[in-house]
Amino acid sequence: MTAERFARQSFLGADAEARVARVTVGVPGLGGGGSHIIQQLAHIGFQRYVLYDDDVVEESNLNRLVGAEARDALAETPKLHIAKMRILSLQPHAIIRGYACKWQEKPEPLRECQIVMGAVDCYRGRRELEIACRRYLMHYIDIGMDVHGDERPVIGGQIILSSPCSPCMTCMGFLTAEKLAAEAARYGNAGGRPQVVWPNGALASTAVGLAVDLVTGWTRKNRSYAYLVYDGNEGTLTPSKTLIGIEKYVCKHFGDTDLGDPVSIPL
Amino acid sequence: MDYPRAQTDELKPYCTKLSMFMEGGVPFFSLEGLRLPAGCEPQVCDALLCPVTRDNYPSRLYFSVKVKSLYDRNWNCENARIGEKNWFAFSWKVEGANLTLAQMLMAHLLGFTKEK
Amino acid sequence: MTVAIKMTGRLYDEIRRDLERPHPFAHERVGFVFGRIGTRDAGGKLVLLTRYHAIPDAQYIDDPTVSARIGPEAMTWAMQAVYHGRAAREGIFHIHMHGYAGETGMSKTDRREIPPMMPGFQSVGRDATHGIIILSLDHGSGWVCLPGDATLVPCGNIAVIGTEVKVFERGRTS
Repeated sequence: MTAERFARQSFLGADAEARVARVTVGVPGLGGGGSHIIQQLAHIGFQRYVLYDDDVVEESNLNRLVGAEARDALAETPKLHIAKMRILSLQPHAIIRGYACKWQEKPEPLRECQIVMGAVDCYRGRRELEIACRRYLMHYIDIGMDVHGDERPVIGGQIILSSPCSPCMTCMGFLTAEKLAAEAARYGNAGGRPQVVWPNGALASTAVGLAVDLVTGWTRKNRSYAYLVYDGNEGTLTPSKTLIGIEKYVCKHFGDTDLGDPVSIPL
Repeated sequence: MDYPRAQTDELKPYCTKLSMFMEGGVPFFSLEGLRLPAGCEPQVCDALLCPVTRDNYPSRLYFSVKVKSLYDRNWNCENARIGEKNWFAFSWKVEGANLTLAQMLMAHLLGFTKEK
Repeated sequence: MTVAIKMTGRLYDEIRRDLERPHPFAHERVGFVFGRIGTRDAGGKLVLLTRYHAIPDAQYIDDPTVSARIGPEAMTWAMQAVYHGRAAREGIFHIHMHGYAGETGMSKTDRREIPPMMPGFQSVGRDATHGIIILSLDHGSGWVCLPGDATLVPCGNIAVIGTEVKVFERGRTS
């Protein structure tokens, strides 16, 4: 690999490639969102990955799973394999630790990451990932999309950055007791949710941009939290109104006692 | 969040070890070796009692395993990650204000022996 | 046994601001930073740093033979902090800074003076992890005593989870 490889991203800083190469990124979930994310990370030059997915390619994934081909659906290729091949085709020396399971079944490798990029499909999953990221000090970047309405479909979504010592997803008004309660009440009735490639792409690209900024600081914004609302019908990404006034807010949901392996107080 | 010593002491006879931790601002009582009602399989397992409203439940009892009991229950919470462990819970709402912790625990365990 | 250290960007900045302040007579400043333990893959350990204690100027001893010497008051404070942190398994790390760039290690004086503090910390905070961190202008190195083990294990890396993310790796200069 020559210097020419990264010539077009020199604006990220003279040592950007070295910085990016040292960071370990966790991606739990390699579906429509995760597959976009890992492809872009590999393009940019990230070398260290911790990946999780216990699923295989199905025909219904082919409308959005980056890197999957028609034959993968026939062969039921594991999504983890698709992701590994995609990364290695761009970064042959990448160090990839891949686990064909949910991250909760083997959480220890994820703790070594500095950044976790999640494209999970439920609020409870997001809450659990955020708690793990706060416990083991990792930036958490979350993306998600949904399609509402039958007569006049509306595509919505979000990109969220939740960092230690900064407002969490609850502070930012994204995770609410009402959403979690409603989701719990719907358990077993979720069904196949509509998912398409272009919103995933928009969300994943912006999320990767946040990750690159966290590592290189190229925008000089020092952004430690973000909540961008995606309007797929208008094609816009705007900061959530719930962030108004949040810069003075101190997160009450996570403190020092939430760091490291849980310590129970004997009673 | 503080609970009176008298209330936490009342939980002790039901388990081999009682402790407490907070996560994301929510309190959890850890009951190691909780003895389950007759007819349950296993007879003993670890459990977490969350005494505050969370996910549409006024309180909830999580188990370290899916417990078999006299009545089939809807285990609508699987592999919930709390305190860096995975937990299971069935759908069972315990209503009533001002329950003590032990009353709450008993009301949840009734879910194994009461038809509905 | 592999060990890594993580801290927030906010904590790193607080530590650097304090350690870079001039002292009336010491050439270097010293502080204590606290940490909790996390389990990583294959039995390895993570140390998550929580808070920093700046040693007051008056608690240094004027000793021209060394860059910095802290007095008994500072050590008493440290021991008491370890004692109070036992329930949370919070350990203590001696931290200071070398004023040059690149990977840094313990000087001869550091090797003589700092490791002997560890047994005392371990005897008070048996279940916690204690150790030593030395920062440079653009890097950092750490050594950790795990619970029940008097050996100082070098850390594989120190990561600063801030804006920007920094990863100081053992054996690689920044």
